[in-house]
Amino acid sequence: MLRRMQYEAAGRIGAPFLAALEAWQRRLRPRGAPRESPFGPPLEATRKLKELMTAHYFQGRYADGAVPVAWVTSGFPVEVLRPLGFHAVYPENHAALCGVRRIVPELSDAAEAEGYARDLCSYARTDVGSLLTGSTPVGRLPRPDLLACCTNICQTVLYWYRALAAKLGVPLVLVDTPYVYGEAKPHHRAYVRAQLEELVAVAERVSGRKIDPEELAEATRKAKEGSELWGECLAAATSKPAPWTGFDGFFHIAPIVTLRGTDACNAYYRLLRDELCDRVRRGVGGIRREEHRLLWDNLPIWFAVREISTTLAERGFNFVCTSYTNAWAEAGSRVDPADPLGSAGVAYTHVILNQDLRHRLDTLRRLAREYQVDGAVLHSDRSCKPYSVGQVDLKERLAAELGLRVLLLEADHNDPRAWASEQADNRLTAFMESFA
Amino acid sequence: MGVTSWMYAVWWARAARGATLTRIEHIQQQRDRHGRKALAVLPVHHPKELLTALDLLAVELWGPPGPPRGPDAGRIQAYVCPVVRNALAFLASGGADAVDGVLFPHTCDSLQQLATLAPDLGGWSKASFTFQHPKGPPRPSARAFLEAELRSLARELEAFTGRRLEPARLEAALQLHEEIDRIRAALLDAGPRLAMSDAELYALLRRGEWLWPADHLDELRAARSAIQPGPVREGVPVLVTGYVPEPAALLDVLERSGAYVAGDDYAAIGRRVVRARCEGDAWKRLVERYWSAPPCPTRSADQDARMSHLVELLERSGARGVVVHGVKFCEPELFDVPAIRATFAARGVPVLVLETELERELSGQTTTRLEAFVEMLSAGRAA
Repeated sequence: MLRRMQYEAAGRIGAPFLAALEAWQRRLRPRGAPRESPFGPPLEATRKLKELMTAHYFQGRYADGAVPVAWVTSGFPVEVLRPLGFHAVYPENHAALCGVRRIVPELSDAAEAEGYARDLCSYARTDVGSLLTGSTPVGRLPRPDLLACCTNICQTVLYWYRALAAKLGVPLVLVDTPYVYGEAKPHHRAYVRAQLEELVAVAERVSGRKIDPEELAEATRKAKEGSELWGECLAAATSKPAPWTGFDGFFHIAPIVTLRGTDACNAYYRLLRDELCDRVRRGVGGIRREEHRLLWDNLPIWFAVREISTTLAERGFNFVCTSYTNAWAEAGSRVDPADPLGSAGVAYTHVILNQDLRHRLDTLRRLAREYQVDGAVLHSDRSCKPYSVGQVDLKERLAAELGLRVLLLEADHNDPRAWASEQADNRLTAFMESFA
Repeated sequence: MGVTSWMYAVWWARAARGATLTRIEHIQQQRDRHGRKALAVLPVHHPKELLTALDLLAVELWGPPGPPRGPDAGRIQAYVCPVVRNALAFLASGGADAVDGVLFPHTCDSLQQLATLAPDLGGWSKASFTFQHPKGPPRPSARAFLEAELRSLARELEAFTGRRLEPARLEAALQLHEEIDRIRAALLDAGPRLAMSDAELYALLRRGEWLWPADHLDELRAARSAIQPGPVREGVPVLVTGYVPEPAALLDVLERSGAYVAGDDYAAIGRRVVRARCEGDAWKRLVERYWSAPPCPTRSADQDARMSHLVELLERSGARGVVVHGVKFCEPELFDVPAIRATFAARGVPVLVLETELERELSGQTTTRLEAFVEMLSAGRAA
């Protein structure tokens, strides 16, 4: 009871107080002369984003023992857990946060000392390291009652989560989505649907509650709406100049990943969409001088986002779209609140990373055309095999078929030890010079 | 180790005769004599009983080891598993032209991508099939899915071969593979009673990756005579777990150092030997055999279950140390290494973790580590 009160207070009082404190500190902070920046004016919504995510993680500190807690992969149909009152924690999002804060090497060291090879996914190493050391930029992660894993983004999450299950001794629910070569076969769809029903039974047992079909339909409706709103935010960048950068999108994606199916998520994206539309009307760009528009493929390089975007923006290059952020906008069209489990089975099976390379090529072609890009950077990500295998061919096809200039940039999404900034800078500079 | 019995000498003479046959010659022979089509099969788990019942020769493609055969390996980044890179190079360079199609089991992310990269973007233009085995524990949904997936694959292969899958043929194929597994298990369990070197044993077992199963069974039956009533091998027994026994020189180094493989948990070998007797009709047995195989991370079996299996294997085999032998960048195997280390450390059993490339030779560095490990085990010291 006390724990529940702490949890509620953290969300309703503690988090708003922290946000107010942060705003107050910001106002007091001495401001120097405005720096020369290649970027457009910062998005007002970013402040709200920080509040939202701070509140999510702050409340999470008090979640275990108060409400059921699930650690969830980013592609998991989380709306099924919402009506049961789960507090969902996304280890991938947490790992990305660690990447941005540049604390991955020390966390990964701890995981590697335990025996996890450096060649394994850096998200996994980051979170295992955080678990082993208790070190996290969010204060504390709540201990899970349930591990919820969907293989639609990779098989790696399953190896990772089964190791967590063994370590933490909590149940692991799996949604195994057969990879789609061409078309999903009827028995593949039936399999995913059946697993979702099994998931409901386990989640009900863990939470001690029965799922209310109306609440499930409502969570599904909200998830669909959130996905569509996110799609509208992204689509704003089809305008010239794009009102934000694709790299902004990497940060503003957090709510659709971690708070999908909630009012807070949708309210945030309405705010963001309205601001982006306003910027489009006023002709305000994400960078001051947009001369070339680029597409980004694969996860961001979290620890170097600012570095890369600045290098490019200074020369008039803007990433206006990314296949990664687009993935969370695509799911919405297949979700149907009238058939939450059935449609979730279809929607979550058809995410970009669970479909063949023909589909991936089609998606990149479509994005390139819709966003009118003249170049692309494919991040060859050591930590993400499903995203990276095939990129060499994709690069050739995009260049040959669409006449794009394409760069394959090797890095790692979270581990700066696999990143040579000078080398990358040389490659990016040469890439930009090719547009002259 | 030399030949220790006349029966073994007979087996070796027969095996040596058969061993002169290359894969390509065997594929051609099967086509000419029996009209059988051949299917290249990528690692690891596939329904071999189904292929046999449809008169399809499975020729497994574990890379092959060595430098990539052709430039197409460069289409996959160097940080990806060499089995997959080499396989693309092999397929694209015409190395597998003798077969009629390829089957890609859904083993890991990299093989999953190869299954679209080669057929869709270049490298393989003949028929291609996928086998998407379920991941995780044997839930009702997974059992139903596996049977549906097997039936779906069977329909595709019927169209491919132009043959109908007769129930009697499926039953016969099941019996054939059950018999193969029984003898493989007996050979792997023989430990010190096996009058055969590890190099010879593994060469025999790995011929099962491409021989017609009935021919392989003949060789296995003959080799059974190498199992002696009492110990004939000396040395330190070790348990080996990993993906594939490449480079095979690892076995020679173990033997030269004074050790032998008493327990095998290679994905390519021991993890595909089904020991349980499965009941029911042919389809049910096919499904049951999948779930009855030893725990394998590529099927994402429960990690605790895998650790229990390894401990049981260690105890049953009398192994005094564990060699974890992974191929570089193999995620399913690498994710289990910390649990394996912790499991055996808690029992005071030394563990050596080796990560090798898919080369034909073992590096001097790895050889030294193996020699030192065996020396330590021989001296009876803890790790």
